[in-house]
Amino acid sequence: MEILAGLFHGFAVALEPANLFWCFVGVLLGTVVGILPGLGPPATIAMLLPLTFNMNPAGAIIMLAGIYYGAKYGGSTTSILMNVPGESASVVTCLDGYQMAKKGRAGPALGIAAIASFVAGTVGVLGLMLVAPPIAKFALSFSSPEYFALMSLGLALVVLLAGRSIVKALLAALVGLWIASVGTDLFSSTSRFTFGRMELLSGIDFVVVAIGVFALAEVMVNMEAREETQLLPVPKGLKNLLPTMQDLKDCRFAFLNGSVIGFLVGALPGGGSTIASFLSYGLEKAVSPRREQFGTGVIEGVAAPEGANNSETGGALVPLLTLGIPGSGTTAILLAALVLWGFKPGPLFIPEHPALFWGLVASMYIGNVMLLILNLPLVPLFAQVLRMPVYVLYPLILGVSMVGVYSVSGSLFDLLLLLVFGLLGYLMRKLDYPSAPLILGLALGAGMERALRQSLMMSEGKLSILVARPISAVMLSFAVLVLLIPMFGKLNAWRLRALEQD
Amino acid sequence: MKSASSLIALVASLCAPLAFAEGFKPARTVDLVVHTGPGGGSDVLARAIAIMVEKEKLLPVRLQVINKPGGNGAVAAAHLAEKRGDQNTLGLFTGVWLQTPLVSAEAKVTLRDLTPIARLVLEPAVIAVKADSPYKTLAEFIGAARKNPGQLKQSGGSNTSRDNVVRQLLQKSTGTRWAFISFPGGGERIAALLGGHVDIMVIEPEEAGEHIRAGNMRVLAQVSERRLAKFPEIPTLKEAGFDVPVVPQVRGVVAPPGIPKENVEFWQDFFRRLTRTQSWRKYIEDNQFEDGYQNAADLAKFYEEFTDRMREILKDAGVKTVR
Repeated sequence: MEILAGLFHGFAVALEPANLFWCFVGVLLGTVVGILPGLGPPATIAMLLPLTFNMNPAGAIIMLAGIYYGAKYGGSTTSILMNVPGESASVVTCLDGYQMAKKGRAGPALGIAAIASFVAGTVGVLGLMLVAPPIAKFALSFSSPEYFALMSLGLALVVLLAGRSIVKALLAALVGLWIASVGTDLFSSTSRFTFGRMELLSGIDFVVVAIGVFALAEVMVNMEAREETQLLPVPKGLKNLLPTMQDLKDCRFAFLNGSVIGFLVGALPGGGSTIASFLSYGLEKAVSPRREQFGTGVIEGVAAPEGANNSETGGALVPLLTLGIPGSGTTAILLAALVLWGFKPGPLFIPEHPALFWGLVASMYIGNVMLLILNLPLVPLFAQVLRMPVYVLYPLILGVSMVGVYSVSGSLFDLLLLLVFGLLGYLMRKLDYPSAPLILGLALGAGMERALRQSLMMSEGKLSILVARPISAVMLSFAVLVLLIPMFGKLNAWRLRALEQD
Repeated sequence: MKSASSLIALVASLCAPLAFAEGFKPARTVDLVVHTGPGGGSDVLARAIAIMVEKEKLLPVRLQVINKPGGNGAVAAAHLAEKRGDQNTLGLFTGVWLQTPLVSAEAKVTLRDLTPIARLVLEPAVIAVKADSPYKTLAEFIGAARKNPGQLKQSGGSNTSRDNVVRQLLQKSTGTRWAFISFPGGGERIAALLGGHVDIMVIEPEEAGEHIRAGNMRVLAQVSERRLAKFPEIPTLKEAGFDVPVVPQVRGVVAPPGIPKENVEFWQDFFRRLTRTQSWRKYIEDNQFEDGYQNAADLAKFYEEFTDRMREILKDAGVKTVR
């Protein structure tokens, strides 16, 4: 009852014409920022911060949050069309999204990304509205051993991302873990693998590696096979540009999986949308009856991660608004914004500023609807990008990649790194090493190492801390189960062969 | 155009009584370089300064925040060093600019290689425990640490952070020892304390304020020379019986090397006037910072001393220093 009253109040705030306008401005800006690789929501929000000073705080937070979740919608666009991940949370979307585009299904891929974003984004807001306090409590019970178990579960997914050879997949994952270790060690302030370059002291940006290994390598491989390159097929007619009923049916579980995983991982202060998207992709693949087709362009492979990174927004707002604890770069700057406007984000924020909280929640329902209406008509338009001849498309991909990397740090050194990782990706493709495990190792490596060392510092070096805590023990058991999945597959194959021989 | 020139006239007339009036005046947008990405501590302060400058009409030109993240401050410091003689660039430094060159050989630019302008703020801290913690005073915590060496835990940043420095100083003066667990983000440090996974932490007073009001956290002592306005009942370290040096978190402004003397004079005076404005006072109060203004000459002295003291503390903590 209290929630209903709050929500009514919230809609009264969110439906004020000025606030509706700011909501629209926010989601529109978010979509644009999401589509452009590089420039992410934290940078955009920081740049707009001075403008929000003369605004009503409700309108301002509605707009800034709109940028935050709006960017998650746009992030998939370049992943699908060009194999250039727009944000770190859209890296996994490249795996099946770009393959779908190659098969002439760019439209359905873009469409399902928007629909999954809408469904999971809305579920995320529902979660924020209904279960924020208990979820925040649950998130606090998570500490280093649990994070280590969560990351181990994530890394175990490597066996699912492997192509033909599990050994090659493991090698690629190890390289990813190694890249993750470059930089200054947090615990001892020692430099690791910096080769005397100060630019490497703070490590290598995840997005630089992902764009290099995916987009640049793709361009190089295609340039080499000149005579074989042809236009990517783009079917005519609006009907072929949107997901079919069958597609939606295939994604039923992905919608649920993305929504739940995204929200839960988002609510953890050490979580984040990148990990959420990887986990939901892995789970989707683990339970799918057509597991072996993942990576060749299955629609659930787009729906699950794209859903997860949107539901994550609702989750990430849980610790921010109920505890005043930011979990990611974007929530950190939202926190700074609230402080600059004179609020005190913390455990008493919601009870003391109900209009602001409920107005934000209501605006997020409205904003998600706006985003769906805004994004679906863009699908046919964006799909036309692939009609461009290759001598225009590939230079375009190259340009988008370079601008994306440069706009993150404004450093030429990062462009050099981009080239290095492009070459690495090219070599891996030539030698038939899968690139997804490398990206997975890189995404999880730093956090996993930290969590392990923190756990051991907590227990004075006793490994038993990892299995003595229930949540951690359960997740580690799941990780072992996942590692055994390929064996089940093999057992099944033996069984079938044995049956045939009988 | 007219309003711009009248603004310049206004600023010029404001500055008239001071010696530099006929000297340097920025002619185009001034870059304020910070070492964090958007949303980081320095970035937020820099943007707040840019807003104040505009609101209080302190400069004839705009102040623009430039993010040079990477290298734990080394990239931003090197960027300034490369801009030798550049009259339209300033940098907002923090203690990190000082500590990174001490421990990382790759970070070659120290604050000594740049031109000091002004120190702006000192950020005090408080020592906090969870509300249901058995420790009611810092002495009780130290007592428990003495009984169980290495068993108690503190959450904090890297081992060169102020959190760890405070711990080192307390450990050294009391002959006790407890574990220090590094977390990269402030949110994770607080979550570790509130979740009961660690026993104690050093936290910014403004961050602690809301958790205290909600009854989730308790403050044992403050890392400050004087009691903060919003914590009148909490003893400082010295009052609590621990006579250790107070290590402030410092923020200030530097310029590229090789800029003319008039520029230094202009900027140190500009920042002095900034720190006297109503907007600045409110900002300082809201964030519970201490006004730490020092001019260029004092700042140069300050960081000489601070560097030496920090090197000693880090060595005591077993951190390898390279300079």
